[in-house]
Amino acid sequence: METAFNKLFKAVVLLVLVAAFVFFIASIGGLVKLLIIAALLAYIIDPVASFLESRWMSRTSATAAIFITIILLTAVVLFLVLPLLSSQITSVQESLSSGRADIFIGKVEQVIAGKLSFLGIRNLDLAGRVHKATAGIAAWIFSHALDVVSLITDMVLIPFVVFFLLKDGRAFKKQFISIVPNRYFEFALNLLYKMDLQLGNYLRGQFLDAVIMGILSTFALWLIGVKYFFLFGAFAGIANLVPYLGPVAGAALAIAVSTFETGDLAMAAYIALAFTLVKLTDDALIQPLIVAKSVDMHPMLVLLAVIIGGRFFGVLGMLLSVPVTGFAKIAIQEGITTFRKYG
Amino acid sequence: MNSFWGNIFKAKQKEEDNIRDILRKVPIFKDLNNRELNRLERILHRREYRQDEVIFHQGDPGLGMYVIESGSVGIMLVPAQTAIAELFDGEFFGELSLLDDSPRTASAIAKTPCKMLCLFQPDLFDLIDLDPRLGVKILLGLSRTIGERLKRTNEHVHILKHLKVQPETD
Repeated sequence: METAFNKLFKAVVLLVLVAAFVFFIASIGGLVKLLIIAALLAYIIDPVASFLESRWMSRTSATAAIFITIILLTAVVLFLVLPLLSSQITSVQESLSSGRADIFIGKVEQVIAGKLSFLGIRNLDLAGRVHKATAGIAAWIFSHALDVVSLITDMVLIPFVVFFLLKDGRAFKKQFISIVPNRYFEFALNLLYKMDLQLGNYLRGQFLDAVIMGILSTFALWLIGVKYFFLFGAFAGIANLVPYLGPVAGAALAIAVSTFETGDLAMAAYIALAFTLVKLTDDALIQPLIVAKSVDMHPMLVLLAVIIGGRFFGVLGMLLSVPVTGFAKIAIQEGITTFRKYG
Repeated sequence: MNSFWGNIFKAKQKEEDNIRDILRKVPIFKDLNNRELNRLERILHRREYRQDEVIFHQGDPGLGMYVIESGSVGIMLVPAQTAIAELFDGEFFGELSLLDDSPRTASAIAKTPCKMLCLFQPDLFDLIDLDPRLGVKILLGLSRTIGERLKRTNEHVHILKHLKVQPETD
């Protein structure tokens, strides 16, 4: 039986290792972020390349075929979806800075101040905070996402790295294994295979789950007549990459913006119901089928990972922190299991 | 300069031909054509071992088979350190590990400096997914080899039984 002290000790060691790993990654900066994104994408696309390879295509042609398809799909997305998404973002910003939202926020502030006066809450300046937040989001979008130079660099470098990871991934692994000393060779190989399998299943599961959640949320919001159904649906899908926090954040954003804009509390209830139903469908039907349970992470670990990721790499870091922590967890778990077998 | 690069390419070609010749002599791969041997070669790992270096320990999880490219290998039972076989160029061991990952039943130690070609279970399973026809050929070869060994073991058991029974009948 594992004692409570042992469990605590293991948790502390795990946290220290994760912190050291994150610090190391943060110290190397943007290049690592780029490599992580490329590696995650390569992991997600790899089975498609293998499938094409099993249909008598060479690995290079399979990789090229996938890239041509992705470029075409991206072009379609850019032409069809991006204008819709950007018009919805602009519209949300405009409506949040309109007087109507201020009136509603003022009412909410009055209610809060009235009910919680015993806590000494008087002037919350909610309207000011909301304006600051929306301006912050807009500034972030313009300074990061729409920074043309870094966008073009990323758009060229990431596919470049993904292409070679996909095409020569096996050769890279073989090269890596060839430098391991004979004594640890079988151990390292065994560990690498197991990690590869688990990490691949985990990442593909998470990605597929996020896509399905995005589609389901968009559909549910459209069904109940939410104006910015596409924006909130897409956000919910992406946020779903972060377990526990993501689905709540997705619903909270949709509810907050919709309520501030229309002042309609019934709509807020409908949105909450729609997100609850989508989440229930996800938990009961989708996740058991596609998400690897072996990488179940404790909510506390997810929270810490998101905070640390956000602290070092911003919004993107928050999204990447969960798969990276999943990778670290798999590496440690499999490392210990394999080490015990060879012990 | 041309002859320099020419020599490098020739040396590489010679090495590949040499590996293919060794693989062709292994009963498991004897039915494979050149294209298939090429594909198999791409998933093999090449390792070099010093004299007396342990290749794997008895009790380790089995991960795959080793083909001796050059050198000799002793198969030992621990803790008695009893040598049960000595294998040479072109011979192979550990092939049962391609089918399951049960622990190694003996240790393998390099008797002389050795060069090995190693085929591991996960790579073989990947190959079966990517090229099922080649995968079936290898698995058939593997089954045939294991069948042969089983037949030989049965014969040994029969002989041993006979030896045991004989004194009673005398």
